[in-house]
Amino acid sequence: MTMAGRTASRTGVAGAHPPPAARRDLGWIGIPLVAVAGLAAFWLLPDDLALLTRIAASALFVLSLDLVLGYGGIATLGQAAMYGTGAYAAGIAAVNWISDPFALLAVGGLAGGLIALVTGALILHAHGLTLLMLTIAVGQIVQEIANKARDWTGGSDGLSGIDPAPVLGLFRFDLYGRTAFLFALAVLVVALMVARRIVRSPFGLACRGVKEDPLRVSALGGSPKSYLVALYAVAGVFAGVAGALTAVTSGIVGLDSAGFPWSAEALVMLVLGGTGRLYGAVIGTAVFMGIHHILASSDPFHWMGFIGLFLIGIVLFLPGGIASGAGRLSALLSALARPGRDGGRA
Amino acid sequence: METMFGIAVDGVAYGMILFIISVGLSVTLGLMRVVNLAHGAFAMVGGYIASYAAQGAGLPYAAALPVAVVLTVLATLPLERLLYRRIYGSANELAQVLLTIGLTFVIVAGINYLFGPTLKRIPLPELLTGTVQIGSKAIPAHRAFVIVAGGLTLLALWWLLERTDFGIRLRAAVDDPAMAAALGIRTERLYLATFALGSGLAALGGVLGAELLPLEPYYAIRYIVLFLAVVAVGGAGSIFGSAAAALALGIVDTAGKYLIPSFGEFFFYAALILILFRWPYGFFKGRTA
Amino acid sequence: MTSTLRTALLGTAFGLLMAAAGPLLGPLAGPAAAATIKVGVVAPFSGPFALVGKTFKEAIEVYQAQHGDKVGDDTVVFIYKDLDQANPAQSKALSQELIVKEKVGYLAGYYFTPDALAVAPLIDEANIPCVIFNAATSAITEKSPRYVRTSFTLWQNTVPLAEHMAKQGIRKVVSAVSDYGPGIDGETAFKTTFEKNGGTVVDTIRMPLKSTDFAPFMQRIRDSGAEAIYAFLPAGPTTLAFAKAFADNGLKDAGIKFFGPGDLTQEPDLPTLGDAALGITTSFNYSRAHDSALNKTFLAKHKEMFGSTDSVTFSSVGAYDGVHVIYQMIKNTGGKSDGAKAVDSVKGMSWESPRGPLTIDPQSRHVTQTIYLRTVEKVDGKLENVEKVAFEKQPDYGYKVGK
Repeated sequence: MTMAGRTASRTGVAGAHPPPAARRDLGWIGIPLVAVAGLAAFWLLPDDLALLTRIAASALFVLSLDLVLGYGGIATLGQAAMYGTGAYAAGIAAVNWISDPFALLAVGGLAGGLIALVTGALILHAHGLTLLMLTIAVGQIVQEIANKARDWTGGSDGLSGIDPAPVLGLFRFDLYGRTAFLFALAVLVVALMVARRIVRSPFGLACRGVKEDPLRVSALGGSPKSYLVALYAVAGVFAGVAGALTAVTSGIVGLDSAGFPWSAEALVMLVLGGTGRLYGAVIGTAVFMGIHHILASSDPFHWMGFIGLFLIGIVLFLPGGIASGAGRLSALLSALARPGRDGGRA
Repeated sequence: METMFGIAVDGVAYGMILFIISVGLSVTLGLMRVVNLAHGAFAMVGGYIASYAAQGAGLPYAAALPVAVVLTVLATLPLERLLYRRIYGSANELAQVLLTIGLTFVIVAGINYLFGPTLKRIPLPELLTGTVQIGSKAIPAHRAFVIVAGGLTLLALWWLLERTDFGIRLRAAVDDPAMAAALGIRTERLYLATFALGSGLAALGGVLGAELLPLEPYYAIRYIVLFLAVVAVGGAGSIFGSAAAALALGIVDTAGKYLIPSFGEFFFYAALILILFRWPYGFFKGRTA
Repeated sequence: MTSTLRTALLGTAFGLLMAAAGPLLGPLAGPAAAATIKVGVVAPFSGPFALVGKTFKEAIEVYQAQHGDKVGDDTVVFIYKDLDQANPAQSKALSQELIVKEKVGYLAGYYFTPDALAVAPLIDEANIPCVIFNAATSAITEKSPRYVRTSFTLWQNTVPLAEHMAKQGIRKVVSAVSDYGPGIDGETAFKTTFEKNGGTVVDTIRMPLKSTDFAPFMQRIRDSGAEAIYAFLPAGPTTLAFAKAFADNGLKDAGIKFFGPGDLTQEPDLPTLGDAALGITTSFNYSRAHDSALNKTFLAKHKEMFGSTDSVTFSSVGAYDGVHVIYQMIKNTGGKSDGAKAVDSVKGMSWESPRGPLTIDPQSRHVTQTIYLRTVEKVDGKLENVEKVAFEKQPDYGYKVGK
């Protein structure tokens, strides 16, 4: 108990990494597990598909944040800038020009990636609180532009009238949300696979190198900043696709999609699930939004207090996030089985 | 000319409120390296206590103010021992963000439960209502009072940090915690005292600023970005940096609203980006960097 | 060792807290019983606008206490969904859930315009009526034939006010509105009407929605040399700061007159506004101080049920009359779910409400009502919006005007 508490407070984020072997195993299981869990939810909770669709799209957004934070070590409170840009780009395209859902996702991803590339190149020289403030400022400016460009975005009324064509020309987006959910789930699973490829590629490993020791990367001849900007842009594509996915499945985009609270909420969901492990983003989102939903539908007044206590509890007792819970539990058990040793961590 | 003067007075008053609240955040960030997102919540708690003391218990303003500050400090000190102590240090940034957001949520829910979602106000004494004539410009008496109070706070903090034993030890601990501990400075007590100073300042600002930043349960979340902006621009741990940043942002915001009202938000955040681009560590290079 | 102890203690305390919070949450809504008609209410019940949700809920309960929860053999049940801020995507998801999962026959509530707009495709596909208790942008009812609105619009409140101001001989006015949909609706309505009646709008100020420090705007108003201002901000914290800044910066003493739609002086905010509110003249569809027998019974019942009438305001009657419309729809359709028919059946319907006589305009599906000109005054030591002039039968002037 003592040891667990102490390691926890020492490490925070970085210490949440399990040994490489465990990571590989869990990583393989993770993606099919998400797909199976999603399909199971589809059969078991046919009345909650609207919520499940939002969870899937939000999980993709949180995943993009995990790429930035968990693999690049960039602390940001402005990820919604990319999400909102993607959502608005897809929404505007849908209202004016195209209606194919896949094309809309591409538009959103492109827009999100572009804005991330431009702003990333501008702000990623900074660190810590300064970087945090810069990301917030970028998010606020994107939101303000969306508010001002009323003719295109609908301003504070929201951009409505997005009516995407049937998926593959066959499956209409119906009232019960069946198509929307399966579509969102498929996009999420594909995105998880792509993200996994990226973080395991030489580029992904280099980014992790930058996160852990930027000096060494520059000593080896790499430019830490350009790696981070590239990673930021890649994550921007993911966030943009997530925004477009929300626009396509919900048919509406609001100013809140680029807002500061949404960025902060994503961060909370990510840390709740655990950073730097991809599927932590999915777990965190599902748990956070699930709890929010249950609490808000029975007694909305207490939901904030409850989620607040939950967050404090996570930090104090489960610092690696929910996804680390299983690993920590087994470590604790083996430590108890061999008293006197502390799990071979030293 | 008159207009310029008007903007300056309004901007300075706004900046002073930002200063009083943010400097507490800056000090705790500089020493304990803790990004305390619950700082706004502490300011709000101070404001609510003063409001209750004045309206519920019938205390005069002059008494409600110190009562609010003292009670806020007493209420937040156990948090330092129970929660904050575990997350000090720059390696824990994420845990800090998560824990302090959680704490903020709990405080928001608690305030909503106890006082309801409506606005609360702190009745001002006769003396502070109405307007004061400065040259040709009539400014609210309360604003003049805030400007004076902000100036006094700045002086008092300067005296505390530069001229007292506490200040010497605190600065030593900020510069080199390990060396300070080796020299026999009891950092634990120092941290506790600094934390108390931080939440006391937050409460003071919450009470004084209640007219400009109205008290409601979402206060804690609504304004925290503003306070963080001041700290980032001023440089963590720097008192004069915070003052300069708060005044600069206050004046930029006021001037932006006056000149191009509908682009007010743009002005503020564009200025923030430009300043942080030019001075990435704030006006006065932060002691954390 | 002490650290182990502390961790354990904290763990226990935390566990207890979670356990204590559990029962507070209460059971979820049960499955549908026979002959139960469900009405889904989407509104803010938490967050900065939680008060709105509270007024909706209280008004609904008062109506049910007065008129029973049965229409014919059918029991009417209200299901509440929390939407704490303007979030159209969330609004749509919640409404969809109400339709699909809870099988509601009616949707109601909606405080913010974007949240109301978001459900248009849903109510058309599911053929369900949507009764809006508040959201006040004129364009909403144009988006679907299944919207009915029992609140007000900015145009409806502003047009008579602007005409009245012009009649008072006021010539130079500044308009200062929050920079969002309804604010811009108000600005357009005011400028159009006031200039048509011979006045001049010397400056139009659009203030960022999140502003809290209004001193610079006051400076600008002063510099413009206007005799009066037309101001609109959404009810809530910003309004307070605005009205206070108006008094504190000497504009009130300088004799500048303060006009606006009644959101500015909503009843729950009046005690907080204090004397700064005295003399503000607003036009609105309801004042708690409205002198009628129906309003008195409404307030008395409210007081009996909730102990006080401090929170009663425009959103209360919006909900109260909305429930009345829903009851009529249920009666007219015999409890069968057919949105288009239900909406058709209440077109042109007239009735007497606590706020005065109401008629649902068959074209706009918005209530035509009396708009009152009120001034904030002290009544028995309590601030109230005291009605001065009544402008009868005001329709929604903004319907199909376009943006």
